[in-house]
Amino acid sequence: MLNFKKTNPVPIEEVEPAEKILKRFVTGAMSFGSISGSAHETIAIAMNRIGGKSNTGEGGEDPNRFITLPNGDSRRSAIKQVASGRFGVTINYLVNADEIQIKIAQGAKPGEGGQLPGHKVSGIIARTRYTTPGVTLISPPPHHDIYSIEDLAQLIFDLKNANPSARVSVKLVSEVGVGTVAAGVAKGHADMILISGGDGGTGASPRSSIRYAGLPWELGISETHQTLLLNNLRSRVRLQADGQMRTGRDVAIAALLGAEEYGFCSAILVVIGCVMLRHCHLNNCSVGVATQDDILQKRFSGRPEYIVNYFNFIVTELRAIMASLGLRSIDEMIGRTDLLELNREIIPAKASQIDYSRILYRPELPEDVGRYYKVKQDNTLDSVLDRKLIEIWGGCVKKNLPVRISLGINNTDRAVGAMLSGEVCKRCGEGVLLEDSIVCKFDGIAGQSFGAFLAKGITFELEGMANDYVGKGISGGKIVIYPNRKVDYKSDENIIAGNTSFYGAISGEAYISGVAGERFCVRNSGLYAVVEGVGDHGCEYMTGGRVIILGKTGNNFAAGMSGGIAYVYDEDATFKQRCNLDMVELEKIKESDKDTIYHLLSNHFKYTNSIKAKIILDNLHNQLKKFVRVMPVEYKRILEGAKIEQKLDIAEDLDG
Amino acid sequence: MGEERGFLKLGRQAGCYRQVCERVKDFKDVYKIRPESQSQEQASRCMDCSTPFCHWACPIGNYIPEWNDHMFGGNWKQALSLLEASNNLPEITGRVCPALCEYSCVLGLNDQPVTIRENELAIIEAGFKNGLIKPYHIGSRTGKKVAVIGSGPSGLSCGAQLNRAGHNVTVFERDNKPGGILRYGIPDFKLEKHILDRRLDIWREEGVVFKTGINIGVDYSVDKLLADFDAVCLAGGCRAPRDLKIEGRQLKGIYFAMDYLTQSNRRVAGDKIPEEELIDAKGKKVVVIGGGDSGSDCVGTAHRQGASCVVQIEVLPRPAECRDSSQPWPNYPLILKISTSHEEGGERQWEVLTKRFIGQRNHVKKISCVKVEFSPANGKACPLMREIPGSEFEISADLVILAVGFLHPEQSGMLDELKVKFDSRGNVMTDKNYMTSVKNVFSAGDMRRGQSLVVWAIAEGRRCAYFMDKYLMGQSNLPVI
Repeated sequence: MLNFKKTNPVPIEEVEPAEKILKRFVTGAMSFGSISGSAHETIAIAMNRIGGKSNTGEGGEDPNRFITLPNGDSRRSAIKQVASGRFGVTINYLVNADEIQIKIAQGAKPGEGGQLPGHKVSGIIARTRYTTPGVTLISPPPHHDIYSIEDLAQLIFDLKNANPSARVSVKLVSEVGVGTVAAGVAKGHADMILISGGDGGTGASPRSSIRYAGLPWELGISETHQTLLLNNLRSRVRLQADGQMRTGRDVAIAALLGAEEYGFCSAILVVIGCVMLRHCHLNNCSVGVATQDDILQKRFSGRPEYIVNYFNFIVTELRAIMASLGLRSIDEMIGRTDLLELNREIIPAKASQIDYSRILYRPELPEDVGRYYKVKQDNTLDSVLDRKLIEIWGGCVKKNLPVRISLGINNTDRAVGAMLSGEVCKRCGEGVLLEDSIVCKFDGIAGQSFGAFLAKGITFELEGMANDYVGKGISGGKIVIYPNRKVDYKSDENIIAGNTSFYGAISGEAYISGVAGERFCVRNSGLYAVVEGVGDHGCEYMTGGRVIILGKTGNNFAAGMSGGIAYVYDEDATFKQRCNLDMVELEKIKESDKDTIYHLLSNHFKYTNSIKAKIILDNLHNQLKKFVRVMPVEYKRILEGAKIEQKLDIAEDLDG
Repeated sequence: MGEERGFLKLGRQAGCYRQVCERVKDFKDVYKIRPESQSQEQASRCMDCSTPFCHWACPIGNYIPEWNDHMFGGNWKQALSLLEASNNLPEITGRVCPALCEYSCVLGLNDQPVTIRENELAIIEAGFKNGLIKPYHIGSRTGKKVAVIGSGPSGLSCGAQLNRAGHNVTVFERDNKPGGILRYGIPDFKLEKHILDRRLDIWREEGVVFKTGINIGVDYSVDKLLADFDAVCLAGGCRAPRDLKIEGRQLKGIYFAMDYLTQSNRRVAGDKIPEEELIDAKGKKVVVIGGGDSGSDCVGTAHRQGASCVVQIEVLPRPAECRDSSQPWPNYPLILKISTSHEEGGERQWEVLTKRFIGQRNHVKKISCVKVEFSPANGKACPLMREIPGSEFEISADLVILAVGFLHPEQSGMLDELKVKFDSRGNVMTDKNYMTSVKNVFSAGDMRRGQSLVVWAIAEGRRCAYFMDKYLMGQSNLPVI
């Protein structure tokens, strides 16, 4: 619909070299799980070779891939996506990233979550996503820790703390009003904004969404670029566009409309062998691209060279267009809508009355208003509490002393623990530190995201209270919270932590002597936690771990729960009414549960001196009768299958 | 797709052919129709691709994944109705089509393709067997009169479609019986003629009128034709053969392939051929010049006539046996084809150029050849041929058949009288609505496209019918292909 205007060309030798332009290319977010391991790695290797970036998608990444191959190639995805399911988002994952992308929505299915059918969740997928093989993985539509633009700013801050050297980007969808959202995101200190068009592909979406939802990226980029310019925010962020891009011409138009980076997805899959069979959801891809099936994966015949070749073609075409338009660099091109015009010939009669001028509108602005990314965002990381923690840790290590820190904490101290965990991961590796290697005792009221991404080996003890997002993405650490020793209110009747605690928890332990707010342990994949009461929507979308609630729950408990087990101390036998029974069954405690409950409760008492815990432990045998076991149906089936296999193994050994 | 993993459970199993020693003794079909259950099983291998490359490759756009699925599920009636929606002659294409679909089958990318052609044959033969093929009832007649010149596959498809649209169709054929190359070109051992007669009877019942033995321009003047009919479709094929005008061409015993094959088919049908016109390979050393499908048909025919030996020579190099990077999937590859006739015997040679015919008593006795080689293109349009010096040799030949292709339609006679314009290759030129330079006169098939396949002829006939119907009525309900 858009054509280039005729201008004075420049010789192609004067256009910036291909190597510089290639760095602006990225591949879109196709998760390992939706496509096969070989396909995913091939894409990563190719993008790393040309200096662009590939994206993990929502499925986490096997840490083996972070190691460089002997021939110099790297299978590590440069962009690590943090999506609503938070699959595989551990501190190690975040630390091994050049860019961390928060996926607010997806162009091809705006407003919806995704679903990976159980039969596609193989052993490897389950490991990478920290879940159970064979269990369907549902991504919730929204991020449960993003309900406002401030929440998004908080998440950006959390991620920046976890990995200060990575840039943080936000993926938005092209729709009316995206400019306003983008302006908010830019003010929230994101480093890059991706506008995703609605023509993109997806392996996990209803047909009606694929065909009818979403708008083209041209409209989104146009609106976003103009809005950011008018608010003088444009020079603080990079803009990226994707959604069925295929040719150098698409890239040129994206640049002229305001984008400085360009994403390719479906085209790349076609390059490595996709023939648009559309059997992705059946796990039946006969060319081995979008399947986890062992036999079919062997049929994969794509190679990184093909992708590199494809991008070389794109760049060649792009440079020719740039030369013909008299532009010597991409930077010169950004936002130059004066070089575009509408192609009236292809507009059908019914659409001829529409006014298209806004798409190509170029606001009159003073020279100093940057048209493209120039200035790094202020990130206020310099004064976070973690810097002090890291300093003390370093000091103790030098003097060979145990790391025991004791500090006061304030509600302006946010994301405490994230930067420390990132450093621990970088310096020591993942999961290497022993339990309680670094113990920090805090006094006071903690700010948002206390103990976010806490790494294994770090223990945080808080005497006081915490705000929202406690233990977000906890990766093996231990968090203990109890009320100030001077208070006399009952711990199981008073709130001690805010909403959305332990969102996307991967592993670790938590002992909360108090009531937590709503959305406790949403998307928990492996945390063992004890709490003395929760608000609504507890344990939603949980896929692993064990949670003990020593008090009342709110409504809609265990909605979408497909893994892990919850034990609820149901004193007044009213829990059933508040539990969402779509995917779980309520049972009595079994023999196999007793050990777990005993250990968790003993720890809870040991760390927090909880009166409730003591009462139960003193009379455990009888008290156990008051517990209800919340067991997801799919999970039970998988566990029993595993037990049968174990029994068979033992039988085989006995047979000799 | 009835069976999701059918393609992983089952390998490709093509149908069987009769034993060579048995089949060379007669002119009956060499193919043994396979049991319906086997066709159904093979149909389960179809993956029902969302991007059906088979359908894309097929010139008539057969609804292949859909009828595969119906057949697998035992819904023969639905399968048949889908098949007939796009193909007027499925029993012909199911036997003689080179199956462009199978070469584009997605399964053929990294496995063996689905046996699409045989599946198509199974559906139509089941239809005939179960009495499902009935003459189409024409609702109302338009009163328009249409003439189709030529009763080959394009003329027949065009006529059948126009008849269904309600026009009064008369098909003119200069031979004794309708069919064109289907009857008088393709040997019986590839296509038995009762298959064709079976279909013609149905069309006769639907109201198509066949006027055989009439040569337009000779027996029926062109002016009368244009006056008698509201529209005319020229579907006379592309019959002017390429000749080898070399020394010795005037010797006896050298014939064009079409003449040889036509006569053979006549003899098989029971016609008596006068002695002096007989072209018989019995006891003779036969050389077929030309390595294509016509050549291979001549080889098979010569075997059955009792030739003492058969040599087929071709000037181009021997093609590769399987795809290479220059012939990527999903395009139709030019690879080595071993036809049923080649399996029956005979020798094939490539990169051989015939220099002259050597005769004795005015009859050909041997041919003198030289080996050639082709240099790479080097920026030119096609590779250059070069004779290899000192590589001359001779092949004994009592009977030489020239099967070196067709140049363009016969231009003298009807086309000359009509004064239609020709394109640069000598084919009848039409605009994008299939109309020639003469008003009311259209053209379809080989006459318009140059020599091609049966399936292309059917596509052409159907398309031309659509444009003719649209021209006559202002709009058309016929399918565009």
